Amino acid sequence: MIVRIIIDLFLILGCFFAFAGAVGLLRMPDSFTRMQSSTNIATFGVLWTVLGVAVYAFSNQNFVFGIKTVMIGIFIVLTSAVAGHAILKGGYKHGIRPENLVVDEYRRDNPNE
Amino acid sequence: MKNKPAAVIATFILCFLVWILFTLTFTAQELIAGAIVSLLVALFTSSYFIHEDAFHLLKPNVFINFIIYVLFIFPVELWKANVDVAKRALSPKLPINPGIVKVPVDLKSEYGLAMLANSITLTPGTITMEIVEENGQNYYYIHWIDVASKNSKEAGDMIKGKLENWIRRIWK
Repeated sequence: MIVRIIIDLFLILGCFFAFAGAVGLLRMPDSFTRMQSSTNIATFGVLWTVLGVAVYAFSNQNFVFGIKTVMIGIFIVLTSAVAGHAILKGGYKHGIRPENLVVDEYRRDNPNE
Repeated sequence: MKNKPAAVIATFILCFLVWILFTLTFTAQELIAGAIVSLLVALFTSSYFIHEDAFHLLKPNVFINFIIYVLFIFPVELWKANVDVAKRALSPKLPINPGIVKVPVDLKSEYGLAMLANSITLTPGTITMEIVEENGQNYYYIHWIDVASKNSKEAGDMIKGKLENWIRRIWK
């Protein structure tokens, strides 16, 4: 019963951060800030959900399922960091310019890109 | 490029461990297939994957610091940043203030630089765009959703927080 409540709590937290990330994705003004908001989904939206599933699996003595879930969490965290960086850099090189920047020191140092 | 034996062995062990954790069936057939694939992957990729001491992460004090960083220090920062960005996204006024700042980093090791850059990218609100080296000093260009300071040193302290000191304990 207690375990059930803990699992639900984890899943609700995951849903909340995924929801916040999705709302941000719709409301943010340009591609770069949208990327920032989507990091919300890729980190806590996924991690809390994965944690909930792992607790469910381990509490049912299903260790194979549990370990695989944890591995999925680790892989998503490792790859989403690199992918986020690559998408942002690629977008900038492609000519997408962020709007209303307070300061852009990358532009200042590399005016030709 | 030449393969170093220690690098090949370290890559092989990592690949094989991941294989075992993903399959979790301990029949001879699966283990042998995994070992062959891991060995092939290790032979082809070890020279790109490992440039420094191959077993550095397995030294006891380094390993303990690494575990503390991954399980306690980083999740706390992740929590703070996630709550902050979620608040910004959900608040009616949408209080964002984006900018790209250049921040100095006092790390020398490639792995340390990559680890800090990825940690910064993973915390919502900051994404590392580029790492450059100028006169022996490394700099990050970071896209920041709320530029609180335009001074690069102050901005660096606010973005990196405790993370840099902990990574320096792991990678120098």
